[in-house]
Parts: sequence; structure tokens; C-alpha cells
Amino acid sequence: MWKNIYLWLDERIGFNGLYKNLLDRPEPKTTWWNTLGSASLFLFVLQGLTGIFLTVYYTPSPDHAYDSIQYIMEGVAFGWLIRGIHHWGATLMVILVFVHMLRVFYTASFKYPRELTWLIGIGLFLTTLGMGFTGYLLPWNQKAYWATTVGTQIAGTVPFLGEFILKALRGGPDLSALTLQRFFSAHIWMIPAALAALIGVHLFLIIKHGESHFPTKDD
Amino acid sequence: MDDETKKQINERYEKHLEKGERFWPDTIFRDLIMSLGIFTLLILLATFVGIPAEPKADPSDTSYIPRPEWYFLFLFKFLALYGQLPLIGKIEWLATVLVPSVALGVLTLIPFIERSPHRHYSKRVLPISIMTIMVVGIVLLTLMSEVPTVSEDGSTLLGTLQTIAGIFIPLTAYVLLFVFKNNTRLMLWTTGLAAVSMIFISGTVLTLAPEKPTEETEVAATLVDQIFAGQDLYSVHCTECHGDDGSIAVIEGVEGLEGEKITPINSRDVLYTITDSAMLEVIAYGRPNAGMPPFGKTYGGELSKSEIDYIVVFMRYMWDDRFEVPQEALKPLFPPLAEGEVPSYDVHIQPIVKRYCISCHRPGKDNNNYLMTTYEEILTTGDNAANNIIAGDENSYLLLTIQGQPIMNPENPEEELIGVMPPTRPLKPNVVEVFLRWIMNGMPRTAAEAQALSTTPTAAPEP
Repeated sequence: MWKNIYLWLDERIGFNGLYKNLLDRPEPKTTWWNTLGSASLFLFVLQGLTGIFLTVYYTPSPDHAYDSIQYIMEGVAFGWLIRGIHHWGATLMVILVFVHMLRVFYTASFKYPRELTWLIGIGLFLTTLGMGFTGYLLPWNQKAYWATTVGTQIAGTVPFLGEFILKALRGGPDLSALTLQRFFSAHIWMIPAALAALIGVHLFLIIKHGESHFPTKDD
Repeated sequence: MDDETKKQINERYEKHLEKGERFWPDTIFRDLIMSLGIFTLLILLATFVGIPAEPKADPSDTSYIPRPEWYFLFLFKFLALYGQLPLIGKIEWLATVLVPSVALGVLTLIPFIERSPHRHYSKRVLPISIMTIMVVGIVLLTLMSEVPTVSEDGSTLLGTLQTIAGIFIPLTAYVLLFVFKNNTRLMLWTTGLAAVSMIFISGTVLTLAPEKPTEETEVAATLVDQIFAGQDLYSVHCTECHGDDGSIAVIEGVEGLEGEKITPINSRDVLYTITDSAMLEVIAYGRPNAGMPPFGKTYGGELSKSEIDYIVVFMRYMWDDRFEVPQEALKPLFPPLAEGEVPSYDVHIQPIVKRYCISCHRPGKDNNNYLMTTYEEILTTGDNAANNIIAGDENSYLLLTIQGQPIMNPENPEEELIGVMPPTRPLKPNVVEVFLRWIMNGMPRTAAEAQALSTTPTAAPEP
């Protein structure tokens, strides 16, 4: 029976082709330094999963955000674990993505034919920072509130456009319910969508060109 | 890049592939181990380090020192140092916008700026040097982000050192790197010296930096904790006028509000008709016309948003009959005394004083200078310190006043020196009993001391 199901699926999907194209590929000798990218991808998935769980109880309004997180930490079974992983995962993801970028820079892996992969990578780095920046405000505690206040203030010093950027980020002259609402929306919909799309392209390019080898004397 | 070079690159890559590995299972295997390691690390961090508790956001708290997320701290520090520079330090957007945008722009466009096809480290000394100094600078600025640029005694030494390590050395190194562009050895020396001196100076700054007092913020997480926190805050700030159970209708013994008629705040009238948010508002803003001062920091009071929240939670759960109090929140104020047991300050007196006395007997209140916030204060402060508490003396002023006997001025028997305490409602007999036994047995401080003084139930009867 299982065999029949397998055959039926294979006829429509083509496992062999998938295996050949995705898994059974030659790679140059790799080291632990080559695991940083896939580790970042793993963290993205993990952040996505824990984040989805957190939205079940989280309420993005100044009146309830703080209390809803208190409830996640105290009232929900394993809520502390889910939020703990999400919290530390964010920190680790910023570090990993940064170190991954440094690795690619030092081994000059961004050179032909992988220039586009690098450009997409910069986009991934910036969106990761964006995730961190928007996520930081959501607990609506003192640290979050004031960090976002200074963060948006710095964005507001851009000549000519500063005022507009500040108001667009905050949804008004000051931090308010609107700020929290739009940071939430950016954090769970806009930026993750961009991030996922960029990851897709990044992965496609990596599979297409293969991982670069560590440079030798004649490179 | 011409087609010939591209062909060479591709051929070299093919050779590396030939002596390489398979994506499945070799590469993937290592990736999976790494991910598993990270997952384990995260679970350990979440379990054993956790997330530090933070009080609720309070826009009115201007005393809070705002700091950005940790990965922006280096930029924040850079801005602070840049602001100290003469002349250009005033043009903010140079540092907030121009420098970061140029850095980011260069980083993005590296594949098109560094156009040589060479990949080996020995042929890329300039870019690697620039990046290394940048990364060292970013890490050091992050580490130094806590250190102030101006010390408390007004010295700018630390600030100057930070500026040297964080701005001048890297800038000089960059200039030198471009001067020595064609000499690998000099470039390596420049980078090495710059990095070492930056690390050395930052290390000095970190050693000289004043120890930062670690601020522990108490955050009540569970409902029971919140009720207790609210109870404590209520006892300190509200009991003075509203009484320990909110039932006071006429204020007594409070300077300036003597005889003022108020609504008992534990009544259904109040609890059923005023919503939480309205209650928060009243506590924060006060009721100027009725004499209630503002308590919220926004309006010049002492309480933060979270603290006012706790008070409202306490009022709801303790007095509003539509709310069900968690059993744990109902534990008695102090363990009941057995026969012959002597109470101690730590176990019995402290919670009682906190609940019933401290609202007036704390600094800044009209209380004959009698403060009751610590053991020492209870025994030694006040205009009548000599008579307030006398070990083994039933006529200690404290014992008399809590039993309804005002103290008359010995020089003028008509004048009341100290009124009955608490001014509005007498303490319950079991509370009075605790004070009585405590003072008659010499005011033991710890439970162990009290234990030593206690007698077995069959021994001599209590005083």
C-alpha cells in the first residue's frame, strides 16, 4: 500500500529529480564556517514558529501588550520557553547573520559569480536588523519604549526627510498605540514576507552556483 | 572581468568540486549538527538565563536613561563621541546619516568596488585591513557603550580616551592604509598596531570606568504578587487617608485634610461605577478639588504606571465582590501567636507596621519625626524617642496610644501630645497583642531571638 502511495506521488512530484537537483550535488570541501548560513535559516524558521505561537496570546495595544506578555510568561504552559527561545533567538540571529557576512567577506566569496548572492545577503542582513528593531518594542516595557524612542529619533535626524521618516515610523509625533500597531504589523507581516522572499532567492542562487571553496594560493 | 578570467574561475571551481564532498549527506550533516547545537543553546538560555523582568512602559518617566537595542549600541556610542568633536560635532546628520549610509553603501557595493578577481587573503590585504579595523571598532564601541564620556567629577579623560580609540585611531589607520596601498608589510603593521592600540586604550577605559550600580527592578509577575505589591503600595500611600481597608469616610489625623468627608473607596458605589482606567486616572491625577494629591509620576507624584496598576489590582481583588481572590493572596499578615510565643520584628512587627503605620510614619509626613521604616528607626527616632518604646514597660507611649489612650503633655495636661494611633480606626486586638508581647519581651529582632525568649505553654502566664 505504502509503495503504491509512494509511486503515485513520485509520478507527480518526481523524487528522483528533486534528489538529484537539491541533495545529490557536489560541493567543495566545507568547514564549520560554512554552516553559518544554514544556521541563520534555521533560526529564521525557529523565530517564525515561536513567533506564531506568541501571537496566540499577544495583544498589540499599549493597554494590554505588557500584561499579555506577563500572561505568556506566567500563565501559559511553556510560554516562558517559547518566549525565551524567541528572545534569545533574535539576539543569536543578529550575531550569526553578521558573522556569516564577515565569513563571506574574508573568503571573498562575494566575487564572480556570486555578486548577486551578496547583494541579496545585504538585504537579508538589513531585514534581520529590521526584525530586531520592530520586535524590540512589542513587550511595551520601559526598555522597549525608550529604545524605540531613541531609535526613531536617530532616524529623524535625516536632513529634509527626517521629520517625515520620524512620523511615518511613529505614526505621529510621539510613540503611541499607532506606533505599536505598525511595528507589530511590520514585525509579523511586512518584514517576514520580505525576508522569506529574499531567502528564497538567496537559496536558489546558492544551489545554482554551489558553495564557494576556501581561497587557495592560486585564487 | 573578461571571459577568459571567468572561464579560469569556473575551471578552478570544478577542480575543487572534484576533490570535494557531496551536499547530501556530508554538508547537510554538519549543518544539522550546528542547528541542533544552536537549538540546545537557546533552550538552555531560555531556561537558565531567562528574560530580565522590566517594568511597564512609562512615557512620563523622564528619569529613565534611554538606550537602544544592543546591536545599535556601537552606533549610539559613536554618536556620543562624535558629538564631542569640535566644530563638526554640531552637525548631527553627518554622523547619524552620512557616515552609516556611506559605510553601508560601500559594504553593499563591495563586489563592484573590489573588482580584482583574486580571492586569496595575501592579494586582498587592503580590504581585509579596512574590514578588520571596522569590526574591532564596532566590538569595542559596543563594549564601551556603558562608560560615560564625562565622569561624575567633570573629568573628560574617559571621553577623550574613547574618542581616540573609537574615532581617531581607526581614521588615521585608514589614511595610512591608502598611503601604503602598495606595500603589504606596512599595511599589515598599520592594521596590527591600530587594532592593538584600540584594544589597549579601550581596555584602559573599561578598567577606569566607574562601577555601574546594578539596578534591580522589582516586577510583580503573577496575580498574587501583584496583589501583594498593590497591598504594600496601598499601605504606604493610601492608608493615611483611606484607612487600611478603604472604609474611611471622614479623614482624621492628616494635616490639612482634617475632617474632610470622603467616599469609602471599598464601597460598591465606587467599585461598581468606576472602571479600571478611570481609577488609574484618579490615582495618577488625584482629585484636586477634594484634596487628593496626584500620585502618578506624570503629575509630580511618586508612583509609576506599573505601581498604580498594582494598586488597582489589589483594590479589585480584595474589595470588589465580583472578583475572586486567589487563596494564596489571603494568607494572614503574620503567623498567629501561640501561647507563650514571643513575636519578632522580622516575622510579625515588620508586616504589621508596613500595613498600618508606615503611610504616615515615613519621611516627609506629619508624624512627630517618628519614622517606622526600619527596626532601628522604630526604636530610636521621634520627638518622644525616650518614651515611645521601653522594653518591658506597659506604659510605653506606643502601647498606650494603640490601646486608645492619648498621651497628654506633662507640662500642660490639657494639651494632647500624641493622639490615639492609628488616628482613624483602632487596631484589631490580635495586632495589639503582638505589640504588647513584643515590647514586654524586649523587642527581639529576628525569629531566632524571639524563639529564645518564648516560653512553653505551661510556663508562667503572659504579661
